[in-house]
This record gives sequence, C-alpha cells and structure tokens, in this order.
Amino acid sequence: MTRDVLQQKYDAIVVGSGATGGWAAKRLSEAGLKVALLEAGRSVTPKEFTEHLPSFKLKYRNHSPEVLRTRPIQKQCYACMEYNYEWFVNDLENPYSTPPDRPFTWQRLRILGGRSLVWGRQSYRLSDVDFKAASRDGYDVDWPFAYADLAPFYDIVERYVGISGAAEKDEMLPDGQFLPPMKMSCGEVRLREAIKAKFGRTLTIGRTAILTQPHNGRVPCHYCGPCERGCMTFSYFSSPFTTVKDALNTGNCTLITDAVVSHVDMDTSTNKTKGVTFINRTTKETKQVRGKAVILCAQALESTRILLNSSTPEYPNGLANSSGLLGHYLMDHVVGADASGTFVDMDELPTANPPHRPNGIYVVRYRNTPATGKHPHFIRGYGFQGGASPRFNTDAPGIGAEYKKAVKLGTYHVSLGAFGESLANFDNFCEIDPDLKDVWGIPALRISMAHGNNEAALMRDAGVTAAEMLEAAGAKDIHVRTGVEMPGMAIHEVGTARMGNNPKKSVLNAFCQSHDVHNLLVTDGSCFVSSACQNPTLTMMAITVRACDHLVERFRRNEV
Amino acid sequence: MPSPDSEAALSASKLRALSPLIKRRDLIRTALFASVASALGPAFSFAQAASLELTPAARGEDGSNFLTDPNWKAVFLNDQQNETLIALSDVIIPATETPGAKEALVNRYLDLLLSVQPTEFQQQFMDALNFIDAESQKQFGRDFRALVPDDQRSLLTPWAYPRQGSTWMEEDEQPDPAHQHFARLKALIASGYYGSEIGQKELGWEGGFTNGVYEGCQHPPTTHT
Ligand SMILES: Cc1cc2nc3c(=O)[nH]c(=O)nc-3n(C[C@H](O)[C@H](O)[C@H](O)COP(=O)(O)OP(=O)(O)OC[C@H]3O[C@@H](n4cnc5c(N)ncnc54)[C@H](O)[C@@H]3O)c2cc1C
Ligand code: SF4
Repeated sequence: MTRDVLQQKYDAIVVGSGATGGWAAKRLSEAGLKVALLEAGRSVTPKEFTEHLPSFKLKYRNHSPEVLRTRPIQKQCYACMEYNYEWFVNDLENPYSTPPDRPFTWQRLRILGGRSLVWGRQSYRLSDVDFKAASRDGYDVDWPFAYADLAPFYDIVERYVGISGAAEKDEMLPDGQFLPPMKMSCGEVRLREAIKAKFGRTLTIGRTAILTQPHNGRVPCHYCGPCERGCMTFSYFSSPFTTVKDALNTGNCTLITDAVVSHVDMDTSTNKTKGVTFINRTTKETKQVRGKAVILCAQALESTRILLNSSTPEYPNGLANSSGLLGHYLMDHVVGADASGTFVDMDELPTANPPHRPNGIYVVRYRNTPATGKHPHFIRGYGFQGGASPRFNTDAPGIGAEYKKAVKLGTYHVSLGAFGESLANFDNFCEIDPDLKDVWGIPALRISMAHGNNEAALMRDAGVTAAEMLEAAGAKDIHVRTGVEMPGMAIHEVGTARMGNNPKKSVLNAFCQSHDVHNLLVTDGSCFVSSACQNPTLTMMAITVRACDHLVERFRRNEV
Repeated sequence: MPSPDSEAALSASKLRALSPLIKRRDLIRTALFASVASALGPAFSFAQAASLELTPAARGEDGSNFLTDPNWKAVFLNDQQNETLIALSDVIIPATETPGAKEALVNRYLDLLLSVQPTEFQQQFMDALNFIDAESQKQFGRDFRALVPDDQRSLLTPWAYPRQGSTWMEEDEQPDPAHQHFARLKALIASGYYGSEIGQKELGWEGGFTNGVYEGCQHPPTTHT
C-alpha cells in the first residue's frame, strides 16, 4: 500500500467488502464519489476455489483436526470445511464472550467478499406484513419505511445480482425480478400440490442468487453443487467478482485489504466523523484514512463493535449512541424445528453424478397472515427451506452384497426445516467485554442473547405443521424436531443499531444515517427493526443501495 | 481484451465438453482462470495470498496420497487391531462385481481418522473391536480375524438387522450393546468406503463435475398426488 492511498481525502470510506459493502462501494463510486473500501481480510482469488475437488482428495475427508483446533466455533457452521476453513476467522485470534447460560455462535469470514463467498444464496423480499408488523399485533415498532419505499431498490439489486425464482403472487412473499426458476424434483412437486390442496399453502422453488441464464457478463450455473467452496464461473452472487469488481473498474474506488478497522474517528468541533483508524492485519501497524463520510458494512455485530469502540467524551457509551440502544435488539432467526420422512412409493434411484441442484424449496409463511388471521399462541411466523430427492441408503440393514445393493437402491428423502422470526428484545444485546481483546488489541464483544417463549412456540408449531404437510403428501417414517437451537445458528444476525424516526428510540434514521453524527452510516443488518422470517441479505443489499443513493443526493446538495 | 461475455461463454462451453473426463480437470482449471482473469478487468489484481493462508485443498494438495504410500504405517491402530478392521471391512463391504472396503483401504483412512478423534470416540471404537473379538472367542474359540469367512458372516449377521419385534431404530429406544457396537463399526466402515474414490465409483460416479442442467420432474402436473 502506498502512502498516497492513505493521504488522500476520500468522499466516502466503506468498511467491509461483503454483501453490503460491495454494494456501497459500487453505488457510491459509480455516482462519481471517491471511495476507499477497507477490508479486514486478504484478497481472494478463484485459484483457491475447490468446488470441483472430490472430498476423497481431502486428507481427512472433512474431519481435519486443524479446523477443529483453529475454528472450533466456525466449525458449527456447515459451510466451514477442510476445503475452505481459512476463509473463516481463526477463533483463537478473534475471541468473543457470552454469559455461560446464554451461548451464541458467531460465524464470520474475514476475507474480500466476507460471507458472500459462502452464503446459502436464498433471497426473499420482506412484505408490509413484516415492515408494519407492530401495527398489526402491537409488539414493538414498525419499520420507518414501507414496502413501496424499498421495492424499487429490491428491483435494482435483483436485476443486477440475478435471482432465479418463480412468481407466486403470495402476499407474504412479494415476487421480484426473477431469472427462470430452477426445476423441482418429483417429490417436491408432490409436496407442493398436496399442501396447496390440503392447506392452501405456497411451496415454491428456492429463490436463489444463482444464474440460470447468462446475466451481466456472467455465465449460468453448471450444477456442480457445492457453492460454498467458491465458483470458478461466478455463477452465484459473491461480491468480489461483481459489485467490488465494478467499483474498482470505475477508477474511483481504492481497495485496501488487510485493514482491520478498530474505530471511527470524530472531529469534535464539527460533530462529524473524519475517517477511521485501522490496524494492518499482518504488520499490526496503526493507520488512518480520512473521508467526508463513513459507511459501516462490516456485518451487524462487527459494525456495532466498531461503534462501541469509538467512544469520545461526547459519546461515552459508544459513538452514535445517545439513545443508549446501540448493541441492543440483537436478533437471529430461530431454528431447530424440522420434519423429515420418506416417499416409499417413489422409485427414482439416487445418483452420484451431476447435475446437483444448488438450491432447495421454500414454504411461504402461513401463520399470523392477513389470510389466516391471528394465532392463539404466538405472534409472527416462520417459513421453511427443504427439499425432496432420492438418497443413497448407507443406513440400510444387512452386510455384504445385499447391503451394497440396498445402499444403491436408496430412499426418497423429504424434509422441511423452519426459520422463525426472532423478536426484537432489548435484553438481547452485545457490549464490549472489558477483559477481552483480539490479537490486534481491539476490545472484543460480549454477546448476550437467548430466544424466548414466542420463538419456542413458533418452533413447536413449525415442527408439527411440517410433519402434517409431509404426511399430507404421503411421506412415511416421519421424524420431527421441535427444539430451539442456540442463537447465531441461523447466521442471520441483525438489529443492533435499529432504524427509526425517533432519535431517542433508534440509532439510525430511515436512510441508515446516524441520528447523532450525520456523516456516519451503517447499512448492514444492524439497521433492521424486526427480523421477519425471510433470509435477510437481499433486504440488506436493497437497504444499502437506498441509503447510498440518498447519501449521493446529500453530496450533490453539499450537505455532507 | 475480448469482451467478458464472449470469454465467459467460451469457458462454459469448454467446461461442458470436457467435464466427463476427470483427467482433464487441470486443463479446465487453466482455461477457466485465463478467461476469468481477463473478465475481471484491469483494476482487479490477483495478488496471490500467502500460501500459509490457504487450506491444503486450496493449495492443490492431494491429501489422499498417504493411502497408497508403499511405506504406509498405522498411526493409531496396532497390527492386530488393523487386521481385525481389515477383516471386518471385508465382510461388511466385500468385493463383489465391484471392489470392496479392503480394496478401498478403508482401514488406512479410519486409522488416520481415529488418530485425530477425541479419546471418547477412540475408546468407543476400541470397545467395539474388543467386543467383536470377545464374542468371536465365545462362539468359535478364536479371534475374529482368524475365523473363516462363513463364520465371520454368521457372527455379524444377527447384529446387522433390527432384533425381531424390536423398535430400536426409533430415536428414544437404545439398541442393545451388541447391536450398538456393531452399528458403530459398520457406520465407520461404510463412511470410509463410500467416501473413497472406489466407493464413489461404486455409487456410479463417473468423475465429472458437470453434466447439464438439473431437469427435475418431467411428469405432467398432478401425476404425483
Ligand atoms: C453458511 C452461510 C449461509 C448463509 N446463507 C444465507 C442465505 O441463504 N440467505 C441469506 O439471505 N443470507 C445468508 N447468510 C447470511 C449472509 O451471508 C449475510 O447476511 C451477509 O453476508 C451479510 O452481509 P454483510 O455485508 O453485512 O457482511 P459480510 O458479507 O459478512 O461482510 C462483512 C465484511 O466486513 C469485513 N469486516 C469485518 N470487520 C471488519 C473491520 N473491523 N474492519 C474492516 N473490515 C471488517 C469482513 O472481513 C467481511 O468481509 C449465510 C451466511 C453463512 C455464513
Ligand atoms: S453449483 Fe452453480 S453456482 Fe454453485 S459453484 Fe457450481 S456452477 Fe457455481
């Protein structure tokens, strides 16, 4: 990194290059602003992608002791593997704490692209039933904007990213700008038809950020399967090869990798930020970058940590925290309910060969909707991800030739797993742990979160209704789980710097701008007011674009 | 520089054409990377990351080499345990018209796997092996690995099926210890076998990583309900 890079004064400093930071860098630099994009991790190259490497080429076939040793927490995520574990943070270098009775698993990537490299790509819009949920059931507050305000930005993001999916005209899950949908298996078609007929519920093919036709210079998916190991053809959306690439190609954006931002710097005379301080990841030197606006996109908990670590005499409890709410209302979708079974009468054989569809099915929320009315035991709702396909039956009884044959005959497996809304609750929060620092000397978080009674009731209901749906479709050997897993497991954490119109009751305004410090924005999931039950990243990206366009307007009016 | 569009499209068709030939994987990688690098444009530089920060897989290492090393030595099992494991894997997944677990060197993979497992896991494995030998001694007066194949089969077979009238497959009911010991060994051997290259081929894997688009259900509507 040359000196010049740091001596320039930028219009905007974007912290984090993942799903949201990539969009911020792209949007701002394409509008002509000079942008510095700071990323804590190293750069990533397609040379290290391993999606085509068979698992028998791994020494431990995905049971590497190195993963367990250096990533004991990250390993709780299915996507952290012997193939790609270096993309995930080293837990020994990146500690956080939790109260003993309130465990939380925090899955993070520190590398160009962040979690967009390994995400599950499921992409769903929220609806006004979500944005105005409080008006309907009286719990907490509405979002400071309506669906109509965000819809154009959903359009922009979807058109660029390329979301394959099917329109369903279900008011709970607004349709979007879709590329052709992927196909359903026979078992999925059966389940779709059965639950539509018996319950009036919608099952649709997963809406996924994977190309099913050439799009914006990228080629469609070749159905190799394991996207979380990278994609040489960039057929699923990850920021380094799309938004970040576009930003760099404008010539207006400077990417600074290995820049671990420790805090935001304030100019107390103007009550504005003047930039950020970061520590070089490898040399551990401390450096500053200066800019007219700072946009935090480091993912909800990290952005919140940066603000909590940016206290000044004027803001003793963390920057932009005059409301005292920064860090509070942490949410993560509740998971732990699912049902699985077998379609014994379907005789399609399993196959070890591609095509492997990197996508599943989705059952749209049907609890507490305008159509189904108020549920007696809980508020809000849940949706399901799942799938149905023949599988090799390595659990078959017997030994010898007979066993080998039974394995290949397989069973037709069907399953649905719930993602439930996590209610915003002041008592679920993160704060700085005074006794804990990461290896760069930056104070670490203490995260304190537990799912409550409503989440537990959602999961009980979800397990039972999932089993009923499988039964309605004729599945046998149905197994049900109705538990609540540890928070963090959904990897959809949001809410720690909530938006709102009232500066006393929120951290950010409706355009993700700090109420306290006007040239400071947080556009990642921190700003969410409620979690809804849909996977959040599409909404985060749409919110980022909306916030950045608004910022550009303010630059044009010379307000920054 | 050719337009990213045409470059990318070219690489996709190459990919499809070459896919079933696993030996040409490296060629495909090279072709893809060349096109990818130019598609990204000038501003994007591929600073190669320090190799320390790459997983062995991402560095291109073939981690399966140790299996066929002529000087292979067990790291966890002693000779006797290793032989017992080979004998067990040969009975549970024998060579038929296709190779079995012995040919797939399942014992070597499991030896490595066991060596990095928690002690509790290792102990359960040892208990299961010891149980098999104890039962073998009881019924036939010798260790399992010294039995003729017919006796090996007749010893194991009862444990390979649910007991008559039993519901031990249900989650809340525990299998009896004999079934449990056997199930543990069988599951390990099966995962070692089906996770190997030979095992993948047994399942019909042809070595390709792409084979057209997923076509899904081709039946007329409502034929499945
Ligand atoms: C396995 C997995 C599956 C998922 N599946 C889905 C899904 O199907 N659908 C969905 O909607 N969501 C999914 N998610 C969640 C999704 O990945 C995140 O919601 C999304 O990536 C968040 O975007 P972000 O920009 O806030 O953070 P990230 O994409 O995580 O990017 C944050 C970036 O900030 C950088 N950073 C962090 N701290 C600092 C610092 N101090 N200084 C400088 N840089 C910093 C990081 O290195 C990282 O590059 C999944 C996540 C995982 C891990
Ligand atoms: S399945 Fe498709 S999107 Fe996923 S890595 Fe393979 S080609 Fe890329």
